[in-house]
Amino acid sequence: MFLTRSEYDRGVNTFSPEGRLFQVEYAIEAIKLGSTAIGICTSEGVVLAVEKRITSPLMEPTTIEKIVEVDRHIACAVSGLMADSRTLVERARVECQNHWFVYNERMSVESCAQAVSNLAIQFGDSDDDSGTAMSRPFGVAVMFAGIDEKGPQLFHMDPSGTFVQYDAKAIGSGSEGAQQSLKEVYHKSMTLKEAIKSALTILKQVMEEKLSENNVEVVTMTPGSMFHMFTREQLAEMIAAIPELQWTDSSSSRNTIQDLSKLRLGRQTV
Amino acid sequence: MLSVGGNFPEYAVPGAKQVRFEPYADNGGSIVAIAGDDFAVIGADTRLSTGFSIYTREQKKLFKLSDKTVLGATGCWCDTLTLTRLLSARMQMYEHEHNKSMSTPAVAQMLSTMLYYKRFFPYYVSNVLAGLDADGKGCVYSYDPIGHCERSNYRAGGSAGAQLQPLLDNQIGLKNMQNVTEAPIPKEKALALLKDVFISAAERDIYTGDCIYILIITASGIQEEKFELRKD
Amino acid sequence: MASILVPEVPAPGFSFENCQRNAFLANKGFPAPTATKTGTTIVGIIFADGVILGADTRATENTVVSDKNCQKIHYLAGNMYCCGAGTAADTEMTTQTVASQLELQRLHTGRTVPVETAATLLKRMLFRYQGYIGAALVLGGVDRTGPHIYCIYPHGSVDKLPYATMGSGSLAAMAVFEAGWKPNMNEEEGKKLVRDAIAAGIFNDLGSGSNVDLCVICGTGPAQYLRTYEEANVKGRKQGSYRYALGTTAVLKQRVIPLEVTSVNICCPQPMEVEPSHSRR
Repeated sequence: MFLTRSEYDRGVNTFSPEGRLFQVEYAIEAIKLGSTAIGICTSEGVVLAVEKRITSPLMEPTTIEKIVEVDRHIACAVSGLMADSRTLVERARVECQNHWFVYNERMSVESCAQAVSNLAIQFGDSDDDSGTAMSRPFGVAVMFAGIDEKGPQLFHMDPSGTFVQYDAKAIGSGSEGAQQSLKEVYHKSMTLKEAIKSALTILKQVMEEKLSENNVEVVTMTPGSMFHMFTREQLAEMIAAIPELQWTDSSSSRNTIQDLSKLRLGRQTV
Repeated sequence: MLSVGGNFPEYAVPGAKQVRFEPYADNGGSIVAIAGDDFAVIGADTRLSTGFSIYTREQKKLFKLSDKTVLGATGCWCDTLTLTRLLSARMQMYEHEHNKSMSTPAVAQMLSTMLYYKRFFPYYVSNVLAGLDADGKGCVYSYDPIGHCERSNYRAGGSAGAQLQPLLDNQIGLKNMQNVTEAPIPKEKALALLKDVFISAAERDIYTGDCIYILIITASGIQEEKFELRKD
Repeated sequence: MASILVPEVPAPGFSFENCQRNAFLANKGFPAPTATKTGTTIVGIIFADGVILGADTRATENTVVSDKNCQKIHYLAGNMYCCGAGTAADTEMTTQTVASQLELQRLHTGRTVPVETAATLLKRMLFRYQGYIGAALVLGGVDRTGPHIYCIYPHGSVDKLPYATMGSGSLAAMAVFEAGWKPNMNEEEGKKLVRDAIAAGIFNDLGSGSNVDLCVICGTGPAQYLRTYEEANVKGRKQGSYRYALGTTAVLKQRVIPLEVTSVNICCPQPMEVEPSHSRR
């Protein structure tokens, strides 16, 4: 993958002579094996839509949980190594509860992202008294969607702990194509309904399997009803309203799908 | 009482005393806070004393925590100093972590957790917090030394707190009165009442006197005022 | 220091840890110190023509002022007065008891009773009660031997001094005397000095407060009891009015008892037919 690959990609706290931390970069690469997740922030609220990979018909689809509630006002969509995400989500939940306990107010989405990022960059820490060091960076990207005093907010955090606010963001295997499509469809005055439709449409474009109410998870965060996960019926209704896929519009998204399907052979992530 | 001298004459010693660790002092002082629709006033006397003697007649016991939050603290003065320093440090940390200044309700809750953190070796401080909340409404929070917190519109605390609270209950809470109409208290009336109750406190409480230091918190800032009390 | 905020929790059970050591020390002449808590400033001085006694007027119950203008200079006899600090009831009853004894003595002897007599009566009474009568007194008076000031402690010990102070404000007052007292002061100088000593107690001791009372006793005339010689502290003027409008207080229960008015005609009383008992005999 890298021409300059050398001994420098072993330790998590060793820079290469070019100033790179390979393990972190590999971790970011690991996200691209994960299922696609899309988040769009509108003035009415935020929508998170995630593809669920049903790798076997014997699998129980409801046990794949990629969008979770962190607090009443913050939801989280993850892509990458699901086991790692559990640790991060747990930290996010603890931080939100602690903030409420100490200050009797809702934690802002940014502060929540900051708190989780503090955990994400603790890899390689061994000389402090926190006990055992983490062996590697987390192989997960996280999208925080929430409502705070600034209104609806969407933040993205990658394994390096970097977190950035987005109007719309895609992560996971289909992220490149999806991000391109998001750039085309997003506008500031978008309604939440439009955002849900766009998210599903783009997901449909980049997903390998046929989009159905079984293999997608959609959550909206609105100031009124906060965390709302769409039921199967609601999903079916939304999916039915999406126009059929047109392959003519952008060639880039199709290419991405092909590229990624190759990648997927390498490593299976659920 | 068991009469030691009667039954055990060899043990009858005048002034047989136990010596124990006494980590607390009572340095006296009273606080009164009143909240209105768009303001809060808080006043504390400026006498710092111990036993029957006065340390100083000009000790300010109000702490400006932000431009809309003021804490009044009396009791063990060394605990007050430590608590308020820790409080400002925690508020500064909050500002850095969350990129915003703390609201009065947030400070109120944090103070409660800070006090409870020392549940079994408490800060012996009687706290009254006054300020404007996120909506700009006046608010008053009062505490016991181990972190019980209560929001109200008026509160008296400190050495004369028990004497003044019933007066405030009657005059502001309109308790035990018939044929009275509840109306929001105007700033001028709150200020006059605050001074009047301190005049009464100075009459009867030996730890209250000398002067009152008053802070008036409004959306446009915090005003200061001083008012003389009797000095005996 | 115990208070509402910092309650002094009594240790459960008995502790005899230091009893034997303390008994040993006491036997060797090192008694444990005993503290007297009195919320008062009282003083007395000798000046050229007699004595001047002074007192503040605050009475306290723990940290609460229970009387803002009480009298602490008690009458003993026409030529002597006694200031009292400590337990109010004890000072009151002790001085009254001794005053009555002194009056009896005066009637019995037909002479002005010497101040020495009062000092002896007081100390004997206090000593008999072993300090349980909590009266700390400054006795002052003039007799044919001249002016006298006595300082009498609750346990019955007596000091005879040219100037004396007692009570919780005694240190503040004594500081003024040590700086300002000199022999043969005139009355104005003396009154000023005593006023200053009491004022020092009023302002610097939390147990003392309110006004200054003086009592000037000269050999030549009757004693001048100067009640409220100076109002050292004026109560603050309130801004608000705290009068209640009519109908503010709830009427909890009402019961009307109708009174039956019956007119009664009183006629001229008829003398009863009474036979004196002895007339029967």
